[in-house]
Amino acid sequence: MIGSIISSGIISPSWDNLFAVILGMGFGFALESSGFSSARKIVGTFFGYDFVVVKVFFTAAIVASIGLLYFSYLGLVDFSTLYIQPTFMASAIIGGIIMGVGFAMGGFCPGTSLCATAIGRIDGLVFFGGMFIGVFIFSESFPLLESMYYSGSQGAKMINTVLGISPELFTFLLVFAAVGIFMGASWLEKKVKKVNY
Amino acid sequence: MERKYTILAFLMIVLALGLVILPRENEQKEISPKVLLSAITEKSRYLTVDQVTHRIIENDPTLLLIDLRTADQFKTFALPGSHNITTDSLLNQANLELFSQPGKDKVLYANSDLTSEKAWLLCTRFSLSRIYIMKGGMNEWFNTIVKEKAITGTPSSTDLDLLSFRKAARQFFIGSGETVNAPVKTTVNEKINFIRKEPKAASGGGC
Repeated sequence: MIGSIISSGIISPSWDNLFAVILGMGFGFALESSGFSSARKIVGTFFGYDFVVVKVFFTAAIVASIGLLYFSYLGLVDFSTLYIQPTFMASAIIGGIIMGVGFAMGGFCPGTSLCATAIGRIDGLVFFGGMFIGVFIFSESFPLLESMYYSGSQGAKMINTVLGISPELFTFLLVFAAVGIFMGASWLEKKVKKVNY
Repeated sequence: MERKYTILAFLMIVLALGLVILPRENEQKEISPKVLLSAITEKSRYLTVDQVTHRIIENDPTLLLIDLRTADQFKTFALPGSHNITTDSLLNQANLELFSQPGKDKVLYANSDLTSEKAWLLCTRFSLSRIYIMKGGMNEWFNTIVKEKAITGTPSSTDLDLLSFRKAARQFFIGSGETVNAPVKTTVNEKINFIRKEPKAASGGGC
């Protein structure tokens, strides 16, 4: 049985940054090869002519869920050593709205703007600069936003626990939902006027 | 959808269905005596009061404090964010869910180590992971953090750092402006107003 190699002490946490760089490069490569460095492709989700963002992220979610559960079933991964991001409900909702608006307006999220910048796209570079201005404003005004930032704390909460079902059943339902969304998206793409970019 | 995507989607459904229908072993089986013996001799199952205090002040989201004392003692004096569970109800369904939370270090404490050791043994035999004991319990925490614990001999820079941390921790917990050298007049039954903060989130990922 193994856990995550850093939290189980096999590798020192001082290697965190190296792993972050290697995983970041892999993530960037996956984003770029999926066409996520194109703002017009990404905003296609909002206008209904290209659902590649939905398809890629749902595919990643169901493949990772199924893989983790099978590894756990076979005794190859110890779930208890995995870090679960705590839920802060109020800040998640407010942050989600801000990010969604920025996503639709700019055509990038933080990761994809870096991909676009890396391949020399000017719109990506502008978004990247704007992101840093936003980070600066947020950091400087953090004392005013701190109470909101930490409000609605619910600890490490899992959706299947809230619904009272097993992780396996939840993953099964998620796969069904994903396949339904893939089919719906493909149908919608055919109905909406094709956009060339 | 294209034919190749239809096949992949069908494959994902079959794999997900496999997860639901696969026979499941009883996950909460007792660990072997050999593993238990090895775990008992492991010193890393203890956390010092300084380590626990540091994590409380840092609002460590992975810290889950379990107070094993009676409800009356818990109401009188408890560490911030603690859950009060007595040993006779330690492994009931609700508490098992609490102990089974992934990504949490469950730290047990009572007045001394005796109750915590019993509870640790029960939890570990029950295959629960990441269970720790706050060494010395509340008595040690009170004597170290609330009262000043003198360091014998000439203190090293590490000792001075520790004293400085404890002074800061004392001010964090009881809001005292007392200096390190001032006598502490606090008693066990004194009502203490804890300064509670929401846990801070660790840095997260995103696209």
